[in-house]
Amino acid sequence: MQKLVVIGAGMATGRMLEHLRDNAPEAYEITLFNAEPRGNYNRIMLSPVLSGEKSFEEIVTHDEAWYAGNEITCRFGEKVLSVDTQRKVVTGEKGEVAYDKLVFGTGSSAFIIPLPGHDLPGVVAFRDLEDTTAMVEAAGKPGSKAVVIGGGLLGLEAAAALRLRGMDVTVLHIATHLMERQLDPAAGYLLKKDLEKRGINVILEAQTKEIVGDGRAQQVNLGDGTELPCDIVVMAVGIRPAVKLAQDAGIPCGRAIKVDAQMRTETPDVYAVGECVEYAGNLFGLVAPLYDQAKVLAKTLLGEDETFTMRELSTKLKVTGCDLFSAGDFAEAPGREDVVYRDPARGIYKRLVIEDDKLIGAVMYGDTADGNWFFGLIKDGTDISEMRETLIFGPAYQGGGSADPLSAVAALPPDAEICGCNGVCKGDIVAAIEGGATDLGAVRAVTKASASCGTCTGLVEQVLSVTLGDDFVLPTAQPVCGCTDLTHEDVRRLIKVQELKSQDAVWQELGWKTRNGCHVCRPAINYYLLADWPLDYQDDAQSRFVNERNHANIQKDGTYSVMPRMYGGMTTPEELIAIAEAAKKYNAVVKVTGGQRIDLLGIRKEDLPAIWHDMNAAGMVSGHAYTKGLRTVKTCVGSDWCRFGTQDSTGLGIKLEKRLWGSWTPHKFKLAVSGCPRNCAEATCKDLGVVCVDSGYQIGVGGAAGMDLKETERLHDAKTEEEVLDWTVAFLQLYRENAKYLDRPYKWLAKVGLDWVKDVLADETERKALIERFDISQSVYQVDPWAERARPGEAEKFQPLADLTVRAAE
Amino acid sequence: MDTVVDAPVKTFIQVTEIWVPEGDRLVLATGNYGALAAFEEATRAVSFGKGEGLPGKAWAEERPVVLKGFDGSYFKRIEAAAEARLTSAVALPIFDGKTLKAVLVVLCGDDENRTGAIEVWEEKDGLMMLDDGYYGAAKHFEWVSQHTHFPRGQGLPGGVWSSDTPMLFRDLGSGYRFIRADSAGKAGLTTGLGMPVPVPSGATFVLTLLSARGTPIARRFEMWDARPVKVGKEKAAILVDGICEREGPLWTDDTQQEPRRVGAHMGNIGKVLASGLPEIFTGSPKLTEGYDSMVAVPIYDDGAIAHIVAWYV
Ligand SMILES: Cc1cc2nc3c(=O)[nH]c(=O)nc-3n(C[C@H](O)[C@H](O)[C@H](O)COP(=O)(O)OP(=O)(O)OC[C@H]3O[C@@H](n4cnc5c(N)ncnc54)[C@H](O)[C@@H]3O)c2cc1C
Ligand code: HEM
Ligand code: SF4
Repeated sequence: MQKLVVIGAGMATGRMLEHLRDNAPEAYEITLFNAEPRGNYNRIMLSPVLSGEKSFEEIVTHDEAWYAGNEITCRFGEKVLSVDTQRKVVTGEKGEVAYDKLVFGTGSSAFIIPLPGHDLPGVVAFRDLEDTTAMVEAAGKPGSKAVVIGGGLLGLEAAAALRLRGMDVTVLHIATHLMERQLDPAAGYLLKKDLEKRGINVILEAQTKEIVGDGRAQQVNLGDGTELPCDIVVMAVGIRPAVKLAQDAGIPCGRAIKVDAQMRTETPDVYAVGECVEYAGNLFGLVAPLYDQAKVLAKTLLGEDETFTMRELSTKLKVTGCDLFSAGDFAEAPGREDVVYRDPARGIYKRLVIEDDKLIGAVMYGDTADGNWFFGLIKDGTDISEMRETLIFGPAYQGGGSADPLSAVAALPPDAEICGCNGVCKGDIVAAIEGGATDLGAVRAVTKASASCGTCTGLVEQVLSVTLGDDFVLPTAQPVCGCTDLTHEDVRRLIKVQELKSQDAVWQELGWKTRNGCHVCRPAINYYLLADWPLDYQDDAQSRFVNERNHANIQKDGTYSVMPRMYGGMTTPEELIAIAEAAKKYNAVVKVTGGQRIDLLGIRKEDLPAIWHDMNAAGMVSGHAYTKGLRTVKTCVGSDWCRFGTQDSTGLGIKLEKRLWGSWTPHKFKLAVSGCPRNCAEATCKDLGVVCVDSGYQIGVGGAAGMDLKETERLHDAKTEEEVLDWTVAFLQLYRENAKYLDRPYKWLAKVGLDWVKDVLADETERKALIERFDISQSVYQVDPWAERARPGEAEKFQPLADLTVRAAE
Repeated sequence: MDTVVDAPVKTFIQVTEIWVPEGDRLVLATGNYGALAAFEEATRAVSFGKGEGLPGKAWAEERPVVLKGFDGSYFKRIEAAAEARLTSAVALPIFDGKTLKAVLVVLCGDDENRTGAIEVWEEKDGLMMLDDGYYGAAKHFEWVSQHTHFPRGQGLPGGVWSSDTPMLFRDLGSGYRFIRADSAGKAGLTTGLGMPVPVPSGATFVLTLLSARGTPIARRFEMWDARPVKVGKEKAAILVDGICEREGPLWTDDTQQEPRRVGAHMGNIGKVLASGLPEIFTGSPKLTEGYDSMVAVPIYDDGAIAHIVAWYV
């Protein structure tokens, strides 16, 4: 294993190590040095720790357990003294360690102005926990006073925190307004007022002359003669990248360690990340870009490609009750335009800077709600010319106000009915949620709400949201396709409820956005219409996939396969002879399939009508091996031949297939019947499988043996063949009427729940009605597509059907 | 989330109730009485006019009120309280501008073993002075507090006053105004919640809840910011700070993760956003982060809910 040595356990290297261990835990043996006697913590949260609004324990990001769990050798409290890039060793205070790869993450140190007295005890910076603790201790003395030199982000956070701790605080700032690099004078003015309201004394344009005291800092003297007695002086005037160690090791540095976009220094096998780097002339002082760097470096160390790019930054001040936000560039320049909004009574100031129809800068004080939105516009370089007039009022203004979508559901009393099908009221659902049902599936399982027609799914989700708050995320409904915002479930429901019986009716009444659908929605709509209105709707071949249009499976080489139906997998010598002759005549390859059929492969398209004719002549019909419809009923030999057989599985399989063939379904539908639990026909991984037992028949549904492997679940135990047929037909019809197009039964069952299906089918009237509707549909659709298209002889060529777009254009 | 409710602890507050104005009287909206069924029954029978009893006094005087020792006082449920061994109460009126939305009343029992503090601070001559407070067994801390004052920006009362937001302090025993901190540490006080109490007169009041480990006022605190200047025009709140005995810190550093956000009607905080009233939630630990109960209180500013503070026991 390669040896990786990291100098500095800071925010940048912390993030880098996480990426490294997440992506390739075994890649490196890691040693981590840190001058601070502890691991990584969230340095930016030292401000609220100083104020007492957070505890240090809360801001630790990587604790001992993390380092141990990730097998990182920690040398905390040990400063690295030198690096030898020739010998590839790092020397710490307690000895050497060799490296294959070395990472500098030494961060910055606070800049201390070399004023007279700057080295007196009691002069502290604000960089680490030691500084923080020193300040807290100073604040412990009653009536103690602090002078903070520097009115930038750090200085002001320190000042506000020390004030909360009970100190008298004076801020000395050299510029004419506070945070002059992030704020304009107007915002700086409001900030000063805000801090003064907290009892903080702010002196602008302050010329600090010296720090004096007897053995420790006791007073700060200004150039104008002002004397400020104090117990502690906090220097927060800026930071300097910590690069001395790298410089001494001969690693090329400018103002910081020079790196390329992969975080490589100019010295082989040495990398750097964080505030100690200089990239394309830029230095860094905020964490956001450092996280990007950390990610890039982790990839570089793993030999993957990644490039660091600079990004826009935004600033906030972490002083409770001070709301300020700034991003981008707001210096005055020709060609720039300002939009300003002020509300003096509420202390609000907002300014946007626009150049070339783009937002390039934003400063806000007192109202920062839209900060991130403005920041996004700046980052993305969005053209704002369309919304220029109202831009300053933020995104809500652009889109119009949004209503409160949950209020109606929240206002319902507990006894209000949510699910009409199953008579479930709001109180039941809330009780289920309180009992631990925290998602839709669980609520459905416990209460049956939305387990039937599904119309109330949206309402149930809203009840979840009202009850659980942000612990429940409202799913966004998936529309059928780009032609509509409606989901499959919506469309199915509306086709039934509004009695839509043609494609044109669907396009018009459901507000389709396209003239007549697309290749995604048309097959689905075509299926829904023919399944719901078999007598009224005319099946539309142009809305079908190519295999279904040509009534054959197109093969890899562009030829087709022809597979005659063999009910229950039974055939006769006559059929076999006919098949064999056809195979010879049309040069077919013969394959026995997994579904107990004989497939003739390699048939040329123009021969299809002729071979269909020959098959028909021998009494055979299409096996529908290409459809979203009923496929085959696989059977075992059963009681007629097998000594274990309990029932006539073959006979039952034949009856089932004769009854069901030709029906269209949302997705393919396969069946099997096994004569005993030895299950030779593999009935327990079919969409519907029957296993014969001494006492009758066990009907299982929802099996799968494809990408997903699933065993069937028991639907019903039947006593007679008649009962099996009834339940099978009724189940198939329920699936046909309710499932989303292209959902196999197991997927559909996962959505509606097997319990609901059982309940529906157990109701005899319901079952009878389903069977009746199925039979009506079969009266139309149980036709052999071959017979319709078969032509004798070779002379007549099969005319391929025109493609969809040509047809549509006619 | 783990909803195993830990072994019951002795809580500092025994009864929490919410009174809402109905016509010219205050009627009980919800209450959490724990095992004190008789007191609950006695309470359900009463309502208060302006100036009547403790809730009525908070309404009439338009300020938070601390009442210690009910005997001979204006307290109306003296007998029932005595039977339930309740001896002190604090009433917090919740105003939206000049309109009273509700009065939150908490009742505590005198117990040598219960430590904690509920304090009302009032601004006088530019300083936050203790108006009154209930401290249970923290007698020394009580004495110290009576002799402490906070200028603007200093300590929990001064911080809340100058920033006009609720604040949550950790480690009350360290730093934070010397003597009081020292004494707080000795009394075992750990977490302090301070909240502004806006009243029609414009006077400045701050309510603090100081929680001790053994007899916590709450085991989870949350502070939600709902000001339109922070969350935008849509009614919503973001979780800006919080701490939980089980889950640890509840805040997020927004350079790493966006804070939690809920809209009106979404969960318990969403309910407060929508109703504009304080709420007590009990009976479904699943919905109260695994704790027995949750109290959520809106704080108004500028005609709308500005913050919501919530505590869980
Ligand atoms: C009080 C405060 C508030 C801040 N607030 C914000 C804010 O709100 N937003 C924001 O974006 N940024 C903020 N920052 C800046 C942010 O913290 C830094 O950008 C970030 O911490 C830099 O990460 P780093 O890993 O480069 O360095 P650091 O986190 O500083 O880590 C460097 C580590 O290297 C160690 N080290 C140095 N030299 C050696 C050596 N020779 N041997 C061994 N170890 C060594 C140091 O001890 C240190 O632990 C704030 C900083 C401070 C101090
Ligand atoms: C264009 C692609 C495909 C073609 C042409 C094709 C063709 C066939 C044919 C002709 C059969 C025999 C059917 C029968 O006997 O009734 C069959 C069976 C089968 N196919 Fe496919 N198939 C295709 C794709 C798939 C895919 C993608 C899967 C898996 C997800 C799959 C899984 C099966 C299984 C499991 C069987 C056995 C069925 C059974 O025993 O009942 N097939 N296929
Ligand atoms: S399933 Fe049972 S009956 Fe059918 S062939 Fe296998 S052993 Fe025989």
